[in-house]
Amino acid sequence: MASALDYTLPVGAHGTGAADRLAPQLLDAAPMLPDPSERCPGVEKHVRMLHGTTTLAFKYQGGVVVAVDSRASAGAYIASQTVKKVIEINPFLLGTMAGGAADCSYWERYLGMRCRMFELDQKKRISVAAASKILSNITHSYKGYGLSMGTMICGWDESGPQIYYVDSDGDRLHHHLFSVGSGSTFAYGVLDTGYRYDLTKDEALALAQRSIFAATYRDAYSGGTVRVYHIDQKGWQRMSETDSMELYFKFRQEKA
Amino acid sequence: MSCTEPLRLSAAPKAGVRGPHERRFNPYDHNGGTVLAVAGTNFAIVAGDTRMSSGFNILSRNQSKLLQLTATTVLATGGFRGDVSTLQKLLKAKLVEYEHKHGEPMKVHAIAQMLANTLYGRRFFPYYTWNILSGMDENGVGCVYSYDPVGNYERVRVNVTGSGEPLIQPLLDNQFERQHQQLASKPPPLSVGQDLAEATAIVKDAFYSAGERDIYTGDTMEVCVITKDGVKLESFELNVD
Amino acid sequence: MLPSSAPLHEALGLGGFNFDNTRRNQVLGAQGVAAPRVKKTGTTIVGVVYKDGVVLGADTRATEGETVCDKNCEKIHYIADNIWCCGAGTSADTEATTQLVSSQIELHRLATGKAPRTITALTMLKRKLFQYQGNISAALVLGGFDCNGPSLYTVYPHGSTDSLPYVTMGSGSLAAMAVFEAEYKDAMSVEEAKALVQAAIMSGINNDLGSGGSVDMLVINKDGNTVLRNVVRPNERKFRKAGGYSFPKGTAKVLTQTFTPLSSLPIDVTTTRSPAAMEVG
Repeated sequence: MASALDYTLPVGAHGTGAADRLAPQLLDAAPMLPDPSERCPGVEKHVRMLHGTTTLAFKYQGGVVVAVDSRASAGAYIASQTVKKVIEINPFLLGTMAGGAADCSYWERYLGMRCRMFELDQKKRISVAAASKILSNITHSYKGYGLSMGTMICGWDESGPQIYYVDSDGDRLHHHLFSVGSGSTFAYGVLDTGYRYDLTKDEALALAQRSIFAATYRDAYSGGTVRVYHIDQKGWQRMSETDSMELYFKFRQEKA
Repeated sequence: MSCTEPLRLSAAPKAGVRGPHERRFNPYDHNGGTVLAVAGTNFAIVAGDTRMSSGFNILSRNQSKLLQLTATTVLATGGFRGDVSTLQKLLKAKLVEYEHKHGEPMKVHAIAQMLANTLYGRRFFPYYTWNILSGMDENGVGCVYSYDPVGNYERVRVNVTGSGEPLIQPLLDNQFERQHQQLASKPPPLSVGQDLAEATAIVKDAFYSAGERDIYTGDTMEVCVITKDGVKLESFELNVD
Repeated sequence: MLPSSAPLHEALGLGGFNFDNTRRNQVLGAQGVAAPRVKKTGTTIVGVVYKDGVVLGADTRATEGETVCDKNCEKIHYIADNIWCCGAGTSADTEATTQLVSSQIELHRLATGKAPRTITALTMLKRKLFQYQGNISAALVLGGFDCNGPSLYTVYPHGSTDSLPYVTMGSGSLAAMAVFEAEYKDAMSVEEAKALVQAAIMSGINNDLGSGGSVDMLVINKDGNTVLRNVVRPNERKFRKAGGYSFPKGTAKVLTQTFTPLSSLPIDVTTTRSPAAMEVG
């Protein structure tokens, strides 16, 4: 019994050639986008990416806290323990880095340039919303090309503290708390437990550091140094850079 | 025992199993070798071996991986020789253009950013190269920048890349970064604590060790010592097997 | 009565390779789980017949991928006093195969009371390798001296063989053969043959990345064999940092310490044999 499910597209008169067999797939499939790793077989093994990371940012009554780890790994190999995953875009804007290191650092540097152009043009600081929108417009226009970024654009503008999450799929989300990267689940566990809007500044900084540490402890792809930044109406400030091993001994002692 | 497959001569093609496929040219090769750099308090060392290989064959025993860019900067590059040469040619052209435009040679931190931009320009068809840029910064401190193939970079005290990397990096971490040495004093913020003689000896030791165990590292090692007075190049014979 | 849990071939005492996990490994391979890397002798091995016998030669590098895992291994294996065999390929395969044939040859010698012949070892080797259809990754150079005089063979992993006056095998075979093709003469003296083999191995060591280390040689003639281990060592380390590396006590942080005196350990006396039982009358 023939049904609609049996229907195949009539392709060519002969129906036996390679191109004819391919044709239904071509018609059914999503639009074909160029994939660089298709074009250069084997390159993905060698072109090293920053995979494995934990980053977080949250708003609280005193501003924004941003914290990150510093490890870059290529498979099981630790490529670097000293990566700077907080990108200082300008004195009021920070970007975090997860995914392709070069993608994040290049495009966030470019974003810094665009923000400065805005300032010169409009004679005022750009809003975090507008800055993050510039970035998400870029990632959206490159969608499907293989960029890899998961970033939080954090800052303080006319309407106060702001955090936007922007990634290489073209997403752009506005919220008060994010964690991004392979260790984010571990960081969320600590962060969600300890988070309150009315945390003091010291409590907020300690919570951020403890959350990243939890990720470096449980996620093999996160580690190195835990860096913590703080943003208020005067701009961002580097608060601490602590080796995760030091933190391990510190927290172990506190527990004992 | 059941057999659902009809008997067939093994040489007979299976109808319709293989879909259409594309054959294509692979533009990349891996030519092996190791490059390394160390930033000292008033010097920098850049080193590389001169073996160029493909598969189990040695293509050259005397192909330098180091390129002097300005009076006090040297670029060390490993990876695919075709891309290394193209990249070196491009960078040299850009440096000449810059000097004509600005009347002075480019400073090392500017070269570092330019190299990153050049590499990122080929984000979707990368230069298959691993770069280490070294020179003297504006305070007279040695500096080393390490790169990935698509232009992510950071300033480091010491870096090694190429086929000998997994053998050498742990030695550098321990000796220069003082990792896992509970009693040793930490190195200064931007450079290593060793003097030139001690640092050179460790670098040489690293290459001779890698030459023993990595089949792609050998023949000759070149050592560039950069100081405020310029670049001095020395060569040492490694094993040829 | 067969134990029901044992695989059939084991229960029947058939021995041989176990292929139980072949399909599982194929599935794992398709999922991107790489098979463990085995030790390979990248290798240059050669042999040449001279006026009175045979000279075998080998390099001494063993590799795992791009890493040298043994700088001075032995690749010339003993079969009998008058028969020796150089092995290239997977180390475990060349060693196991030559040891097995060596044992069989010795039993054969004891059974017949006659000195073993090279052709016998060759036949055993090729039957073994052919039976396993190339799954035993051993490429061999077999040389010997018996009642028929000197003989030299190559054995390929699938079991085919050649008999030639000068042969090379392994990844350095082309480099070594280039030397043989340029320099070989019929009826050389032992010194000429040794010099030629040494030059061929050196060519492999220098030009093939899979080969390296030192030169091993072996001469077999009517008087027996002469092992020439490491006759040339061209690749000794040329530099070592003066003073070496020293780490004072305390370099590694001591986190915890416990002390357990030996006397406090429970010792099971029931399994220790009494001294009386150990006496030999």
